[in-house]
Amino acid sequence: MELNSVEGKPIYVQIAEWLENEILCGNIKENEKIYSQYQLAEMFNINPATAAKGINILADQGILYKKRGLGMFLSPEAKEKIRDKRKNHTLKRLVEEVVFEARLLGVSEAELLSMIRDAGKVFDEHEGIEGG
Amino acid sequence: MDVISCQELTKTFGRVRALNNITFTIGQNRITGLIGPNGAGKTTLLKIIAGFLRASSGEVRVFSEDPFNNLKVAANMIFIDDQMRFPQSLTLSEILASAAAFYENWDMELARRLFDYFSLDPEQYHHKLSKGMKSTFNMIIGLAARCPLTIFDEPTTGMDAGVRKDFYRALLRDYLRKPRTIIISSHLLNEIEDILEDIFLLSGGEKRLQTPVSDLKEFAVALRGKREVIDKLTAGQEIYYQKSVGKDHSYVVIRRDAAEGLLKKAGRDGLEVFPVKADDLCVYLTSRKRGGIDSVFDRY
Repeated sequence: MELNSVEGKPIYVQIAEWLENEILCGNIKENEKIYSQYQLAEMFNINPATAAKGINILADQGILYKKRGLGMFLSPEAKEKIRDKRKNHTLKRLVEEVVFEARLLGVSEAELLSMIRDAGKVFDEHEGIEGG
Repeated sequence: MDVISCQELTKTFGRVRALNNITFTIGQNRITGLIGPNGAGKTTLLKIIAGFLRASSGEVRVFSEDPFNNLKVAANMIFIDDQMRFPQSLTLSEILASAAAFYENWDMELARRLFDYFSLDPEQYHHKLSKGMKSTFNMIIGLAARCPLTIFDEPTTGMDAGVRKDFYRALLRDYLRKPRTIIISSHLLNEIEDILEDIFLLSGGEKRLQTPVSDLKEFAVALRGKREVIDKLTAGQEIYYQKSVGKDHSYVVIRRDAAEGLLKKAGRDGLEVFPVKADDLCVYLTSRKRGGIDSVFDRY
């Protein structure tokens, strides 16, 4: 698997986000053991300490919990937590960027909304909506 | 536990000061990248750690002992570079056999598998190998020895891109299997960045920075905007890199924490903020002039 190190995001953040995506699309179930830092290191060709840092982000946010000597497991409320977090941070920031760009280009609010609606239609037709 | 510790280490060759007052420690089972431009003192530092050279002043401890001419250090350490010499009368497989006799943790199975993978001929002689093949063979010795302290000094000299990639992957996978303290020197960070835990930045014989790689990425940011805005904002700040963009714009690299404070005070004000790649930052931190090579050509 290739990680994009050219992009500004630190690799451990990319690891955390990759795990979140795996959780959101249901590849890791509640109370299931998640990948160890060594498995992630091998999969992504990164130092295990970097992988551990990615795992720890999610543990600090209560998305994972630790069983002593057994590793990290997925909290029952993980999906909910990830969704809340991403909505209030990631999505909010993306929206701000979109609004900033629209202002810069003199695109009206109505025009912007219709663009968002169009993008949604294209997405519905081609991809469908993942997860639930 | 620290495998290596240096206190105020200085090394002079005649009038040349190759290393100047360096203090650091390297913890057990970490992979450290020793990064610096040509002539920074990387090889000198590694040879002192390996016990091949004696420090002019200061204290060096490897496995809690003075490494110079030390048998314990020699038996637990391997130093790989492109100057390695082996007896001309021995074939590659004979060299492997004698390495196996010397290194306690030697893994012959790993050596054989790597030999096969890289299509090395066991009956070949070391001095007949091409530059890249020599580096590949040396790398196999370095990995199979599985020494508690493994030092690679510019290990990929002459290797093609594919072999370099394989080498770093092999190093990581064998490290996962058998963790040990590893130092790799390179003037290029981007190739090895991902597999490192720490980075040690050396230039002009001095330590610039020793930090987890993941922190390095967040150490600095770049700002781009109108020159007058940038100049006013960054006055009094340590600037790592600066260049002009277009007619009246400027691009500067400063510490992230400083930038965050400044931006909070001044607002975005038409400024764009960019991440700085770790290897670019290393170049900025070790470069001779703030404006880089452009400073030679500007105003000329």
